[in-house]
Amino acid sequence: MTELTGKERVLKMFKKEAVDTMPCFSGQGTVTVQAIEKMGTQFAKIHNDAELMAGAALTSARMWNLDGLVVPFDMAAVAEAMGRGVSLYDGADGIIYPTVPNKWKELDEIDIPADFMSKGRMPVIDKAFAILKKEAPDLAIGAWVLGPFTQAGQIMELDVLLKGLKKKKDQIDAFLGQMTEITIDMCRHYEGLGVDFICVREMGSGTDLLSPRMWKTLIQPNLTRVFDAISIPSVNHICGSTDMIIEMMHECGADALSVDQKNNVVETREKIGNDALILGNFDPYGTLTTLEDSSEVANVIKKCIDDGVDSVWPGCDIWPDVRKENMKTYVQTVREYGVKPSPAVQRI
Amino acid sequence: MATKEEILEELKEAVIEYEEDDCVEAAQKVLDNPDLLTPMDGVLDGLAAGMEKVGELFDSHEYFVPEVLMCADALYAGLDVLRPHITLSETGPRASVVLGSVQGDVHDIGKNLVKMMFDIAGWDVHDLGRDVPLEEFVEKQLATGSDVLAMSAMMTTTMLGMKKVIAMVKEKNPDCLIMLGGAPLTRDVANLFGADGYAESAGNAVSEGIKMIGNLRKFEKGEVE
Repeated sequence: MTELTGKERVLKMFKKEAVDTMPCFSGQGTVTVQAIEKMGTQFAKIHNDAELMAGAALTSARMWNLDGLVVPFDMAAVAEAMGRGVSLYDGADGIIYPTVPNKWKELDEIDIPADFMSKGRMPVIDKAFAILKKEAPDLAIGAWVLGPFTQAGQIMELDVLLKGLKKKKDQIDAFLGQMTEITIDMCRHYEGLGVDFICVREMGSGTDLLSPRMWKTLIQPNLTRVFDAISIPSVNHICGSTDMIIEMMHECGADALSVDQKNNVVETREKIGNDALILGNFDPYGTLTTLEDSSEVANVIKKCIDDGVDSVWPGCDIWPDVRKENMKTYVQTVREYGVKPSPAVQRI
Repeated sequence: MATKEEILEELKEAVIEYEEDDCVEAAQKVLDNPDLLTPMDGVLDGLAAGMEKVGELFDSHEYFVPEVLMCADALYAGLDVLRPHITLSETGPRASVVLGSVQGDVHDIGKNLVKMMFDIAGWDVHDLGRDVPLEEFVEKQLATGSDVLAMSAMMTTTMLGMKKVIAMVKEKNPDCLIMLGGAPLTRDVANLFGADGYAESAGNAVSEGIKMIGNLRKFEKGEVE
């Protein structure tokens, strides 16, 4: 029997077909400092150069033997393309992710340019995908977009958005509808570029911020529209507290759900059954960067598998400054301990 | 004519029900009845007490962040009325704090709730805002000689900058108390970084900010040392 390629393993998992072992990949960033150093560049430089962006993703995936990769690495690209600017922190020490410096302060100010997909770093990201399609045919290439609500919070002040949910419900409803159309357009665009899967990160909508009732009325209908429009494998990712909304997340229609360490996966399995794909749910910083004993990393990963995930995903971007031994242990444990079937995916 | 308890209850309710206009009205009643209560009574036993109840509603998942933010707006509406009438002797020696969210972090909801606590207490608050370069914390602390430097990081990825600031400030001004807050922090991390205090339970800046208000009220009333 020939071993599956990473891409085959990931795509089979999404179809819930038997695989040789559990795929090891993520819909969030998996770039690490070891790969960046090997390339002779810096974290601050890999966000606005297609060669470096694709190179950092691919070098990381090859270095750690991952089955897939995603670009870009920061959440500011769309807001930047909409004219909100970007802080890249290229003069700062260490690793700082790009942020959006000039968010709109009022709903009335919002004016999204129709051609934002060709502005800012958006063409850089498209080019990075083209490079990856050519250079990494054996790996699953993933795109990710922010969900409508989270993207809204990237282009306008979050506190204004949150208060608007109560005070200006009709206006916010209309705005989120507009953001949903934009999210769908972006998903279709990336589908057109030939990516293998799309992760929709509605990460700002967990019950740390919003009530389940708000989630049902303001988030769920829009996410359902997004997943209805995606025709390739899709992931509904929310970090933070998701136990109270997991059934509604499941109803949105994505091929898989991704949750972080705050989710009780054992209970989630009981709620949504063994047929649903669940990805998660370890704390990437607390596991890969801070644990000093790599055997503890193995225990964290084994617990995720024992709790019932179909692929062990970090709950967020992997913090690039991982410990080498921890990263190796993470991948190795997924491969070895993940040889047994997971709830939704059998083994060859 | 309203009693002291009724006026305080109006203030509390206005905060809990996030009614800014009602809060202004109730605050005005405090000023109109100096024989019944002082502006500081209104702040601590009306506005802050209301916010404490909001914290309970948040912890029990009855309120979520949108409601808390609106309650904070109502509290500030009342505070704006009362604060100009609070004399220094009521609050004791005025302390000062420099606070902000560290570079790379554009989240400031938790930081603003902590700021609210210092505002309620009548401190001189030097709010540097968010995405604050590390050197700016140091420069401002040294320039103001603040008693406290409070830094917030909502994301794991930005909290590492705190360690550098603490080292720089402690080197030049070892008496400055340094408080850390934000979702990714733990006591271990705060100790490791050399901080003097941190927002306990790390899980939620919103909840912690409000709990600090409760502690402040106890402190002002002499219930804790």
